Amino acid sequence: MSVHEVVVPQSINENGGLAGFRGIHRRIWNSVFRKPAIPQNELEHSKAVADNFFLHIHSAKVHDRTLKFRTTLGLGLLSFFMFIILVVTGVLLMFYYVPTPAEAYNRMLDLRGAVFFGDILRNLHRWAAHAMVLLVVLHMVRVFLTGAHKAPREFNWCIGVVLLLLTLFMSFTGYLLPWDQLAYWAIVVGTSIAGYAPVVGKSMQFVLLGDYSVGGEALLRFYVLHCVALPAVLLALVGAHFWRIRKDGGLARPHGNEEGDSSNTKATVSHMQPGEAPSFERFPARAGKTYGLMCVVERSSPATKVEPECQVQSWPAALNRELALFVISLLVLSIFALIFKAPLEDPANPLHPPNPAKAPWYFLGLQELVSYDAFWGGIGIPGILVLLALLAPYLEWRKGGEGVWFHRSRSAANWMFLTIMLTLGILTIIGSLFRGVNWQFTVPW
Amino acid sequence: MAPLHIDPERSAPPDEGRRRFLTTVTTVTLATAAGAMSLFNMIFLKPRVIYGSSSKVRVGRPNAFPQGSYLDLPAARLMVRRDGNRFAAISTVCTHLGCTVRATDVGFDCPCHGSTYDQQGINMGGPAPKPLAWYRISLTPEGELEVDKSDIVPFNTYLEVAS
Repeated sequence: MSVHEVVVPQSINENGGLAGFRGIHRRIWNSVFRKPAIPQNELEHSKAVADNFFLHIHSAKVHDRTLKFRTTLGLGLLSFFMFIILVVTGVLLMFYYVPTPAEAYNRMLDLRGAVFFGDILRNLHRWAAHAMVLLVVLHMVRVFLTGAHKAPREFNWCIGVVLLLLTLFMSFTGYLLPWDQLAYWAIVVGTSIAGYAPVVGKSMQFVLLGDYSVGGEALLRFYVLHCVALPAVLLALVGAHFWRIRKDGGLARPHGNEEGDSSNTKATVSHMQPGEAPSFERFPARAGKTYGLMCVVERSSPATKVEPECQVQSWPAALNRELALFVISLLVLSIFALIFKAPLEDPANPLHPPNPAKAPWYFLGLQELVSYDAFWGGIGIPGILVLLALLAPYLEWRKGGEGVWFHRSRSAANWMFLTIMLTLGILTIIGSLFRGVNWQFTVPW
Repeated sequence: MAPLHIDPERSAPPDEGRRRFLTTVTTVTLATAAGAMSLFNMIFLKPRVIYGSSSKVRVGRPNAFPQGSYLDLPAARLMVRRDGNRFAAISTVCTHLGCTVRATDVGFDCPCHGSTYDQQGINMGGPAPKPLAWYRISLTPEGELEVDKSDIVPFNTYLEVAS
């Protein structure tokens, strides 16, 4: 039953005391859903996606290419799912955690041994954090190799670079919280690296630690950063990142007859801009506006019956795939969390660093660089790499290769990018496996 | 409610100069306020009171140290050394990235990134960029040695204590 058919209640005085309650369940239901809860046809599907707060991040229709697995490998979506899992498990863990040097480690032991489901939640949180770092990096690689960072998506790539840095900083601040040896010495080393930054380095280190050395103040500060400040910024930027995907015209896709895409040979949609259709009535009396379902076609004549055929309804095509991906990722992560325990080392001992004192795996490339030179390894080279990443879409301004894996016209850029990523990967492997006591070179076998 | 009446004379172009002046004044005022608030918030984050350990550490009476001995104080992250009647306090915080170095027979070793120092704390190998810090050491009125970790003194500064 639609909203227009709701019976206006008679006044209570007219029909006696309880008459207002007649049909109240229907009125409540209609106030929540406004339309059938389960949409029945294509129009209702489109309206459901466009009108629902939680679904309207989708367009009503998507290009079928967007949903092909090889277009994105689902990496951005998986990163976001990891973030959701991290928020849920993280908030639950907060109910038991106390951010003081005296209590923090004990609470880890409680979570492991005493709290029902505590162990699993901690494992899930830790492995989801590792997975998120990995997936965000892979997502970045995917975007670059498909040329999806190029105009008009440059700025969204830059938001993505900031999101990568925030992801790393989130996991770094999270690492301190168990207050074990790894945590303590990773923070000693990490904040010392911050101290090498030119001009503001020493102040930054002092503000991060809230003291001259790592202690209770640093734990409190990292706790607030990890649980409130950074997730808030991250969530806002994730919103902006998703928003820009649609505002920049959807996922990057090849022009016309470019190779690697047979489904899109007839026409190219450059923009779908609901709300920009000419409207002559300010308040049209007729409900069921349809301009949200049309699109502007980049051609001299309207190519009707061409582009819409390449499009599919977001509900159910996109939503089903998203749900499936979420269920699969949660399932894999849960199995992983049941089998592998999140590591917890000895309690933090400020007197004796472990030997070797290693950071988590994704920082070991950095630690390897730092072991040659603190400034260049910790500030100089990472700074240059971040700057290069931010400038990459502006330097690679020539059109071509958007939305195509390893496009021939972009092979130079792809090789440069892959060389940098592979170098970082090799440094990470050296730092993880080939460094032993006193950071001396060893072989793992 | 009275219908909205638009006076054709009042919809004439406004005083451009006055409008620009008001825009400038408003912009500058709001920008100044926003800038000041951001600055205060940043200064707020820089602690003025430190709850951690004091920078001054008492390490005992001079005659508690035999001739030529040294005392490693990992909790205070420093080492006190006696050389004749002279005393010195050397930091055991690695100048590379802040790990605690360990005293060895020939100097100091850092376990984190493999820096090595000689007995004077001069960096000999690894990524350490400079020698270990030497702290001011003084005698309190009660006759105890006191190290001030916030006061870094030039290399090879000793305190002479009359025995």
